[in-house]
Amino acid sequence: MLTEQPGLLFVAATLLPIASFAILLLWGAVRWGLRPYANDNPAARNVFEMLGGAVPGPGPAYVATAAIGLAFVCSLIGFCIFLGEVGTMHELEHELVHHQQAHPDKHDDKQGEKKDDDIDKLRGEFNQLKHHWEGSVDWARLYSSSQKDIDRGAILTVGFRIDMLSAVMFVMVTFVATLIHLFSIGYMSDELQKEVEDHEVHTAHGHYSRRGRFGRFFMFLSLFCFSMLNLILADNLFQIFVSWELVGICSFLLIGFYFERTSASNASNKAFITNRIGDAGFIIGLMIIWTFFGTFNFEEIFRRVRCPQVDAHGPITFKIGEDSAKHRIVRGNAEQKEGYPFFKANPEGSLALIFPRNEHLHGPQSEQKVYPEPGATQYTTIPYWLLVVAGLGIFLGCVGKSAQFPLQVWLPDAMEGPTPVSALIHAATMVAAGVYLVGRCYPFFTPEVLLTISYVGAITLFVAASIAVVMTDIKKVLAYSTVSQLGYMMLGLGVGGWTAGLLHLLTHAFFKALLFLGSGSVIYGCHHQQDMLKMGGLYPKMKITALTMLMGVLAIAGTPFFSGWYSKDEILVSAYGFVMANKQHFLLFLLPLVTAGITTFYMFRMWFMTFTGKPRDEYVHEHAHESPWQMTVPLILLAILSVGVAWGWPPHIPEHSWLGEQLHHYSQPESVKVDFAEADKAIAAHHGHEVVFFTATSVVGIGLVFALVLYFYGVLDPNDAKEQFPDVHRFLLNKWYFDELYSTLLIRPALVIAHWCRNFDSTVIDGFVNGLGKWSVLTSYWSGRFDSGIIDGFANLIADVSYAVGSWLRNVQTGYLRSYILFLALAAMAIWVLLYAWANAVIGGP
Amino acid sequence: MFELQPFMFWLIATLTGLCAIATVISQNIVRSATWLLFTLAGTSGIFFLLGADFVGAIQLLIYVGGTMVLVVFGVMLTAQGPFINMKTSGAEWAISIVAGILLFSVLCFGTWGHFSAPQATAMDDPKDSHQAATLAQAMTGAGYGPIYKPVQRERIHYLLPFEIVSVHLLVVLIGAAYLARAKRRKGAAT
Amino acid sequence: MNPVEQLNLYLALGALLFVCGVVCMATKRNAIGVLIGVELVLNGANINFVAFSRFHPNFQVEGMIFALFVIVMAAGEAAVALAIVLNFYNNHTTVDVDTAEELKG
Repeated sequence: MLTEQPGLLFVAATLLPIASFAILLLWGAVRWGLRPYANDNPAARNVFEMLGGAVPGPGPAYVATAAIGLAFVCSLIGFCIFLGEVGTMHELEHELVHHQQAHPDKHDDKQGEKKDDDIDKLRGEFNQLKHHWEGSVDWARLYSSSQKDIDRGAILTVGFRIDMLSAVMFVMVTFVATLIHLFSIGYMSDELQKEVEDHEVHTAHGHYSRRGRFGRFFMFLSLFCFSMLNLILADNLFQIFVSWELVGICSFLLIGFYFERTSASNASNKAFITNRIGDAGFIIGLMIIWTFFGTFNFEEIFRRVRCPQVDAHGPITFKIGEDSAKHRIVRGNAEQKEGYPFFKANPEGSLALIFPRNEHLHGPQSEQKVYPEPGATQYTTIPYWLLVVAGLGIFLGCVGKSAQFPLQVWLPDAMEGPTPVSALIHAATMVAAGVYLVGRCYPFFTPEVLLTISYVGAITLFVAASIAVVMTDIKKVLAYSTVSQLGYMMLGLGVGGWTAGLLHLLTHAFFKALLFLGSGSVIYGCHHQQDMLKMGGLYPKMKITALTMLMGVLAIAGTPFFSGWYSKDEILVSAYGFVMANKQHFLLFLLPLVTAGITTFYMFRMWFMTFTGKPRDEYVHEHAHESPWQMTVPLILLAILSVGVAWGWPPHIPEHSWLGEQLHHYSQPESVKVDFAEADKAIAAHHGHEVVFFTATSVVGIGLVFALVLYFYGVLDPNDAKEQFPDVHRFLLNKWYFDELYSTLLIRPALVIAHWCRNFDSTVIDGFVNGLGKWSVLTSYWSGRFDSGIIDGFANLIADVSYAVGSWLRNVQTGYLRSYILFLALAAMAIWVLLYAWANAVIGGP
Repeated sequence: MFELQPFMFWLIATLTGLCAIATVISQNIVRSATWLLFTLAGTSGIFFLLGADFVGAIQLLIYVGGTMVLVVFGVMLTAQGPFINMKTSGAEWAISIVAGILLFSVLCFGTWGHFSAPQATAMDDPKDSHQAATLAQAMTGAGYGPIYKPVQRERIHYLLPFEIVSVHLLVVLIGAAYLARAKRRKGAAT
Repeated sequence: MNPVEQLNLYLALGALLFVCGVVCMATKRNAIGVLIGVELVLNGANINFVAFSRFHPNFQVEGMIFALFVIVMAAGEAAVALAIVLNFYNNHTTVDVDTAEELKG
């Protein structure tokens, strides 16, 4: 099976963590269920002891680590096989396109049949190879009235599709996750105790103590890994959305792992709610896509939104102005002609063309019929603004997940989780998901959306870097550096550096995992002390940690020949090209350039403050120690990769980074070249590579010099600078007052409105209801009075009258026979008299 | 012209009416019963006068012979000292007499004033009496009519009512005997 | 004297007997006296029947037959009434109808 479809290796790699999650869940559930009976019931006690007993055992960690380790092995093997096949696949695809372009209409060609055979053979080989890396099963069949033309109906699928990007991501995620698992075994060993005392939670009886949660931690980690891998694996947006939400809930669970701490539970809430805002946008995007495209499959969406290069009848000759429309989003207007709406191409048009799902139809002419009924032709349209909104919506989801401006506020707070979780979130999984999705949906984004992405990235990277400068908590510094680096990635993607942005995602994953695990090692060695103001001079105590972290610092700073340099340099080059082509967007180059220096400064500041100089806190310094091997081995491995993961030959040219080339050749969407053709030209025209190399390196150098001067040699006192610019310092220390801004703009108004609503509720609604109640009581009272007075009185009156008449009439019933006879006689007489009178009056006599 | 018929009528009617009034106004029950006897006899005389010999005879037989004996028998059974003369108050008397006079005048008004049958005529010679044979024919269903006239078979006959009355009489006599039977009641025993 | 006037005279005699019977029933406290009144009323009615049988062509026989029936009825009625009176006397040791007032309203 694996030889037929090696892509299943990746599926296996995805399913291993969920299997581990299921095992751990069952394990924990059984233990939880047996715990109350363990004391009394011997059988229950035996099983309970077998599952680890009252003290949490290290078993779950081994299960989870083995699962993710196996997943890494699977993905590595799969990656190797993929590398072997991807070249052939790519060539075959090119040849196919070439053939079809060269022989536009097979029926006109006398040698057509022979060519047909060639094409069919090529297509067969190509499809076979493609089948190795693709597969999907129908999950749910839905029906949508607007999708009559789709023979398959509207179907939600579960599937996988491996290309270079996802294969590389797979290896990166599983590798980093494996190391983080390994690291966690050491770092979370506190949780192995029967009673864990949480020093940060104070109760009336001193510190709060609880049972150890070792197994639970690894269970969550497994679920987290599964979600992320499934997200990378998916071949459709819906599957991604499901994984997306799973990632969200896992981050919620892990950030709030110490949920007894108020700060931790608040942070997890904040992360979750902030992500919800982004996900709302994501859902809007999904709905628009579903409505107009009827599918969530990436390939189909891209094929329908971008003009194809060929169809069965040859190359697409459709032009927009002078340029070929190939790989472009075709805009135009609908006009009436011959009773039908016609589509007239126009770069400013309000509609965008949706291309046919299948390639066996004629390519669009410059004036294409658009029938009102979608079933009549494969060509339909979507309002261009909706396309923009869908792109922005999806990007909003990425903004939330990747902590971009303005939703960046949750990520620094997420440091409340255990440090391995921070590493996992920041390096490999959650924040990577946003960037990955932007890269994945790239062909779907219109230029407006891409520009938005660029600006969001630029603002984010600068804001976050500026805040990182003043942070003293070692994890907060890293958190803001993560936000800043994510901004770089977004910027890179937005300005056309697709490869650059995603390469930065990969390199960043390694060095940021390294830095976080290093900081975790420091925190562990310093007995959970995170404040850099209490560290200093730790280098002799923990050399491995210090040296590996130095590698990470150099990489993130963009020191030449370290992995970060390759990706960051490429991002800057792309930005330079974009700015040269569109001068009005000069900030898109200026901000990342300046921030590169700031990054160097604050990263070295962190390293110097932690490892060099005089110890600031004797207690911390004396008790500091190097971490055990489970923690240092991952550090060393990550350090090696942080240095060399992006290398290529020759090493001094960033474009020749091997990893970058792989992505560039095999995974970069064709639309990138088309959309950013001008920027590419501008890079060549203005010597982009050289300019960027020198400016960036000198800026990095300046940053390093500042850091050395301030924090290593101590020539200048940083406190002087602080006192010199107190306002700036306070502004940065308060994170640009974003939290306060949101509090003022959103939370407090919401509270005020909620308060109003409550008041409205309690006064108007309740008042109305109470009024109704009172009113009915009042009416009931009067109704009762009316009832008992008038109705009853009337009834009683009748009864009384009857009674009176009756009791008067009973006098007539004397019981004396003789009086009855008398009455009888009188009555007969009266009847006679009346009869006479009546006869006289009516008949006029008898 | 002297006619025997009206003379006899006036004679017998006056006697009968006076006897009836005497029956009413006599305080002693025994006398009252005696006056009733005369009244009944006078009535039978009226029947004879009207040519209904058979009815008159039956009147004498059953009323004067049977019923009066029965009444007198009852009077004798109950006529112990205090019950002979049970006085009725004067006011009651006055009311009753006034009511009686009013009723009588209304009846007379009806008789003469308005409701006398205009077609009533003396059908036959008053000397022709309706003989028992005619009645017997009607009673047994053989038809009836004057002997010298053809029998009108289609007319009503009274066999069934006659039988019913006979059975009724029998039942009444048995019932009366049952009612009058002396019962030993608790109250009476003590 | 035409037959109608003759008839009217007979009817007047019947009415007199009838009224006498009614007054007798209304004034006699003795139960036997009441019975006597009933006999008077029945006789008045009988005179009417027989008079109509004499003067009305449609009642030639019927009048007399009804008179016969009434006589028989009267005999039966007298027997029952006497029985009642005797029973009443047995129960109340009196024949005063005014004491029979248990059914008064």
